[in-house]
Amino acid sequence: MGNGGFDRSQEPHFFIPSYLKGTRHAERLLKAHKSRLRSRTTESAKSATSTGGTNSLSTSSSSINLHQKMVPSHRGMTHDIIEKAPTPIYEDAVAQLPSCWNRNDKWAGLEIEGGGLEVIYRGASKTHVDEAAAVRSDRPMPRECGIYYFEITIMSKGKENKPSLVSIGFSGPKVILSRLPGWEPNSWAYHGDDGNTFNCTASGRPYGHKYNTSDVIGCGVNFRTGEAFFTRNGHYLGTAFTDIKAVDLYPSVGMKKPNEHLRVNFGQSPFCFEIDSLVEAERRETMDLISSMPVTGLCPPLNETQLIHQLIAQYLAHDGYIDTARAFAEEVRQENKNLTYNIPGSDSEASKDLEPEEDVDAIQRQKIRASILDGDIDRALKLINIYYPTVLSANEPIYFKLRCRKFIEMIRHCAELSDSPSPITSKNNTSSDSYNGVFSHQMELDESNGFEDGMDTSDDLSNSAIGGVGIGLDGNQTFGNSSSNGNSEGNGFLGYGDLMNKTLEYGRELKDEFDGDGRGSSISVRKTLEDTLALIAYSDPREGPLRALLDVEGRIPIAEELNGAILVSLGKSSSSSLERLFAQTDVLLSECGADGSAGALINLRSI
Amino acid sequence: MSTSTVSAAATPTRHPFERRVEENKPSKTDINTVIMDYLIKEGYPDSARKFAMEANIKQKPDDESIRTRVEIKHAIQSGNIQSAIEKINELNPEILDLDSTLHFALLRLQLIELIRDCSSDASPENVSQAITFATQQLSPRASTSKAFLEDLQQTMALLVYPGDTLTPQMSELLKPSLRGEVADRVNQAILRRQGQSVEAKIKEWVRARAWAEKEARASHKDVPANLKLVLDGDDEDEESDDGMNGNGDAMIT
Repeated sequence: MGNGGFDRSQEPHFFIPSYLKGTRHAERLLKAHKSRLRSRTTESAKSATSTGGTNSLSTSSSSINLHQKMVPSHRGMTHDIIEKAPTPIYEDAVAQLPSCWNRNDKWAGLEIEGGGLEVIYRGASKTHVDEAAAVRSDRPMPRECGIYYFEITIMSKGKENKPSLVSIGFSGPKVILSRLPGWEPNSWAYHGDDGNTFNCTASGRPYGHKYNTSDVIGCGVNFRTGEAFFTRNGHYLGTAFTDIKAVDLYPSVGMKKPNEHLRVNFGQSPFCFEIDSLVEAERRETMDLISSMPVTGLCPPLNETQLIHQLIAQYLAHDGYIDTARAFAEEVRQENKNLTYNIPGSDSEASKDLEPEEDVDAIQRQKIRASILDGDIDRALKLINIYYPTVLSANEPIYFKLRCRKFIEMIRHCAELSDSPSPITSKNNTSSDSYNGVFSHQMELDESNGFEDGMDTSDDLSNSAIGGVGIGLDGNQTFGNSSSNGNSEGNGFLGYGDLMNKTLEYGRELKDEFDGDGRGSSISVRKTLEDTLALIAYSDPREGPLRALLDVEGRIPIAEELNGAILVSLGKSSSSSLERLFAQTDVLLSECGADGSAGALINLRSI
Repeated sequence: MSTSTVSAAATPTRHPFERRVEENKPSKTDINTVIMDYLIKEGYPDSARKFAMEANIKQKPDDESIRTRVEIKHAIQSGNIQSAIEKINELNPEILDLDSTLHFALLRLQLIELIRDCSSDASPENVSQAITFATQQLSPRASTSKAFLEDLQQTMALLVYPGDTLTPQMSELLKPSLRGEVADRVNQAILRRQGQSVEAKIKEWVRARAWAEKEARASHKDVPANLKLVLDGDDEDEESDDGMNGNGDAMIT
């Protein structure tokens, strides 16, 4: 998100008001926006495919092909294949913010200009005391925001040298627009001519100053408390209304004199009033409630510390952080020992010691993760096929991602080789030197030659033609039929040219495997494949537009997704208790915050 | 980060809430950050170091700043209050000078430890040592605050009553949890003084979980009657030794 409260890099109409930044509703809006952009690109890609005369089959028939080809796996696969399908449903579910005045929801005589943000009264002067012209915004204020705020600048109050007859506030969708907001039931407003507030009635109550040309009037609604307030030129004027329960309230302004001219800021620009601090104070109030919340009811008889220890220990074991799990269990054990030191008979009072999980699965999973995080995809594929031979065929998308990642790692390697004057490679191409130390037995499985196909190989791991050569490179070198290339067999060091050839060869193979057999017709698979293979077009892909693909961070999601898939294949939950706790809380907060009550402003991710 | 889920398709009978939970998984980066934050703030240096390696976390824990806090924490947890106070003052004398409540809590814990020595060995030396400490260190402070005075009186009563006639309130004072609580407060005071945020994020997560459930139920939201937290096996008593080996398949659909 940008600095000024909105993001210029997105399409012009998308913005997040500054006070909503970091809230869950802002995240929802952003996600919906991205999904909208994505589905747009996907749709254009789709039409390009269908009109472009390519030989791809229609989606439905190709997915039948896919089934036939991939029958051995479970139904999980089809689910995964369509997983990346565009999800336009999502954006409908997210309450969008007001963005401009609604041309179809205004009274005659009002004209809308300035990109939908300005409204000018060009009609005849409303002489009758009851008559006026009002307009509403395109969308209601989402209660999910917790607090909603907008500002109106009085550009001109008209020609007549009289108090401005402007009304600023909000109203329900059915409130008649020939009256000033505030006069009618289900409308609330602050009037400029007398400084009074009008709470669904024609008789006002004294509230603040009258307002005039170039004043900036802000209006905020707190959906938790059901209160509304106004600001004038950056000053808070106090609570104006209480007990606002109506849903679907639209920002609204009304006026009576020719040339009265207002401009609204729904958050596209920085606000005059310090609304961010007000929202932050509101958030803190709720955070204080949360901080003092006892948690003993969550998982009796565990107290807070015990519960947190269990959650952490279970996560570490679940995700295969074995060394950490052991160290943590030991440190907690030491702590319990300290706490009961010299207190006879208190053993039962202390936390239960943690028993780190020492199962072979955790170690195997950690080895696989380590390989991926090191960028050694061949090794990872090999280990998966040894330990969990069914996982890849049951999780085609993960297999695809791993295969693409291997190509990316080869490109990375080529780019690095081209940097160094001599073709000697470092042991570990970029990241995580420390990583190899985690498992002393990491290299006990020597890389073997002739690793041909990640799907069905069961290599002889005792073949150690290239013992001890750097991770990554040897994988690259041995991929495919190295004998057919006949070059540098048994030699760990490849020149740039050789490596580039290998990479190209592998790229072709990748394309053949995924583009030629029907799987490639899945839009997302094709797109990924195209992007990945396009890397080869850049002399230094680290500088090109696709450089994000090369980021080593990209290894992490693949490693974690695979870990989850392995756990599922073992009949275990794909997520740990801590992840569930987070997700449960997130959903609960959404439930609580949906109507704007406490919880709307709480975002676990930014706690 | 990774928004894709690896879970198998949901069965139709599930509560919609559960489906949304599945879709709202945090990223591993979020989780790992929160765990690292806890290990550093609450002082588990070995775990923090290992975790940085295993989870490939770039930001390595600063051993130096953890170590002092851990030493102080361990001293308090094992009842060695004198040594803890000295270490705190060495680190920054203002921590106790400017927080008389915290200082009093430490001194009272020290008195409790002295009284504990009396209960195992009620020699005249031990008893007089406890009394001397109380009169020299705590009494002057107790006169400044009613709460301090009450705390002191209650603590001194421990000396007089035999162990089996203590009120529940009094026997609380002798439990290990008081040490843990004081250690936590000191740790937080040091973090605050170092300008760091005090609460470990995971604590707020757990509290937010409890709070949000309470709020949601109070406003009659559609939430499953029993929101399980630990999903490995139904028998929570086995949870610790069972880890992930439990019959998690009950949860997989």
